Amino acid sequence: MELAEQQAAAKKRMSWLLGGILLGLLNTFAVGTYGALGVSRNFVVIDEFLVRLFGTNLATTNSYLSLMPTQVDWLFMILPGMVIGGFLAALLTGTLNPRSVPRLWKSRFGDSKPKRFATAFAGGFLLLFGARIAGGCTSGHVLSGAAQLAIAGFLFGASIFASGIVTAKLLYRRKAS
Amino acid sequence: MTASYPIIAQAVVDTVGVVGGVDARAIAAGLLTGIAFGAILQRVGASSYEMIVNMLRLKDLTVMKFFFLAIAVGSLGMYVVDSAGTAHIGIAPLYLLGITVGGLIFGVGWALSGYCPGTSLVAMGEGKVDAAITVFGGLVGALTLSLTWDWIRPALVDPLNYGPKSIPDILGVKPLLVAAVLAAIIVAFVIYLDHISTGRKPAAGKAHGTPVGR
Repeated sequence: MELAEQQAAAKKRMSWLLGGILLGLLNTFAVGTYGALGVSRNFVVIDEFLVRLFGTNLATTNSYLSLMPTQVDWLFMILPGMVIGGFLAALLTGTLNPRSVPRLWKSRFGDSKPKRFATAFAGGFLLLFGARIAGGCTSGHVLSGAAQLAIAGFLFGASIFASGIVTAKLLYRRKAS
Repeated sequence: MTASYPIIAQAVVDTVGVVGGVDARAIAAGLLTGIAFGAILQRVGASSYEMIVNMLRLKDLTVMKFFFLAIAVGSLGMYVVDSAGTAHIGIAPLYLLGITVGGLIFGVGWALSGYCPGTSLVAMGEGKVDAAITVFGGLVGALTLSLTWDWIRPALVDPLNYGPKSIPDILGVKPLLVAAVLAAIIVAFVIYLDHISTGRKPAAGKAHGTPVGR
């Protein structure tokens, strides 16, 4: 997308005020029906499905994968739902964006796709590796956990913002040269 | 909407190829909840690399205000529902080492990718190729954690593990009261954030809470 189009897309966005209220109500609805919103566990469930698909016995012998449900459940369906929700919302508002390198990244690190893809991969790896050590991510631990007043949620939230802010500031610090 | 649950659910169950023992209604409800979750994140701009990284750079706090407000509304909502006796509240265990170390690792990944696990899925749905690669990295990261769990658990999860602990547990007061106080604090903080962010950039403050494309 061209810059002008991107700015037009940004102007069409929902306000943080309405979005925050809607997401809070959605999480209330979720907790009232089946459970709080969470995402990161579902990555492990996909891994469990994949190792079974490839015929290994890791799904039963591995101490972590064997904790996962063997069938899709309510929480798992959040994952495909989010992909579909993102697609539909973008489609209906004309904001589908099949780009490889984000604009801000390009302005700092250039338009090399391998460079961006390698960083995106490493970032994803650290996100899920860290989230599963902690037992949740931004959704499960903070959006849901802090709302449920779990101390773990506040500790996790403070940790991710601390290292996230430091890392982002380092990545985008002014060049010395 | 209730009537259409089983039809959608059957399609989903067929697609996934799972037979028997699956609660079709729960599956459909999960899918619809996920769709709503993804759509809200997309509409607010939380699945945008720029919005996340600029939040972490403390340049644009739109997503932070959105997210904190959602916690406040959710907290109050959940405990209002809970006081009616029907909520599925599940408090996560508090283990100091794993949650802190895991969170610090997560934060680095958050700034590098510009996504969190949920928003990477939403951004992938929008067609963003780098987000799809973040999802792939996430699958590899989750598998790596699974394969190293026998070392990580005794080092980071078992020690200093206090089990499920919530603020109302520790204070010995009603959760709804704590939720109300927390919501009030968060709303005050969000108003403050909105004030400083619109104050810092007067040209951007066309209306309260209107995100401006940059």
